[in-house]
Amino acid sequence: MSYGDDEVRWEAVTAFVRLGLARGEKVLVLPSPGVPAAEVLARLDFPSRSTAAARARGQLVVSSMREVISPDPEFTAARQMGRLYQETDRATAEGYAGLRAFIDMGWVAALGAEVEVMMRRESGAHALFTGRPYTEICAYDRRRFDRGVLAAMERAHPRTLLERLGSLRTVREPDGVLHFIGEADAAQRAEFSRALRIALAHTAPDRRLTVDLTRLHFLSVGCAVSLLVLARGAAGHDLVEVRCDRGQRRLLRRLGGGTVPPLALTEGVAPW
Amino acid sequence: MVMPGPASPAEVPAEEPGRPLLQRRFTARLLPQLRLLVEECAAREGLREPRRGEFVLAVDEIAGNAVEYAGGSGRLELRRVGDELECRISDTGPGFSEAVIPELLPGLDGAPKGRGLWLARLVADRFAVSVAAPEAGATGAVVTLAVQLR
Repeated sequence: MSYGDDEVRWEAVTAFVRLGLARGEKVLVLPSPGVPAAEVLARLDFPSRSTAAARARGQLVVSSMREVISPDPEFTAARQMGRLYQETDRATAEGYAGLRAFIDMGWVAALGAEVEVMMRRESGAHALFTGRPYTEICAYDRRRFDRGVLAAMERAHPRTLLERLGSLRTVREPDGVLHFIGEADAAQRAEFSRALRIALAHTAPDRRLTVDLTRLHFLSVGCAVSLLVLARGAAGHDLVEVRCDRGQRRLLRRLGGGTVPPLALTEGVAPW
Repeated sequence: MVMPGPASPAEVPAEEPGRPLLQRRFTARLLPQLRLLVEECAAREGLREPRRGEFVLAVDEIAGNAVEYAGGSGRLELRRVGDELECRISDTGPGFSEAVIPELLPGLDGAPKGRGLWLARLVADRFAVSVAAPEAGATGAVVTLAVQLR
């Protein structure tokens, strides 16, 4: 994610941390080096001391990138990823469901790391996620990183930078697959439908379209119905394949997905 | 979503003691945050997937209905009642009766109304629509849905 003001950052870190704790994961927070740990904890605990017990038992750790790579003083992508890999193993050995890390990328300047090194780390981080119980948000303060770096990170990052909670992003892959990323809630229904209409128009010559929902954190009834209605009306398509998780599949079927001729629901899992 | 019709008196369930988990006023802008807070509470209370996702979806549909048809805002109260996770969403709109929720799933070629509340009622173990404090002459709907935690 990227943020342009601190309230957006706090909203994201609070939701991410508290949801992880509730799911029984170990949570590591690496705030921007200029932000005191006390402020982080006060934000996480608002409006109640809901994370105090988690801190006491070691489930929630507020640390820094310097501590993560210590005793080595210099950042390397391999060193940092190696430590996070070990921390994931340690979290599961301690009985947690996995590890999630919130990393404010302010550490890049604080440790004097090269932006190119950081970009290599971001684009090569697949091993941290693939088949492992690890979730990560890298937060970029747009006031600290120039537009060129953020654009490059957008391309290099194995995941997606979303502005804030409730965002929806659509990505058309070169192979024509339409990915929806983020939250397809009621506020995003028009955008969701527009992207689908465009994709259907573009794929009319091939008579088939693949839509990937597995990177959605939330699929509303309205967006699910829009998908079904548009697929039903896609007279020129022989196949509209929808890749979805189990919950999305169940929702689409409950809403009548079984009665839409060109629709094929294939179950998959999110690529992280 | 359902356009609220004329309010009709609905049976108000007897108040049961419960443990408050979350109380929030919400507008459209706050719905994403509200979903996360509800999911957090549901996870903390032990509601597992896929029921947790269904519960969050149902809450979002009811809250979204309040935003769209009842003045743009509402109030959510989440609490633990025995072995149930109960969510109560109230608004200050004209109110509506549960009778406006379709019994059967509306077809895909019909008007796009009512599916959100239809699904919310479908996934809930307990569901009710009542009128806010009718004895005080207040208007508004109170939608209660609950799911079993065990």
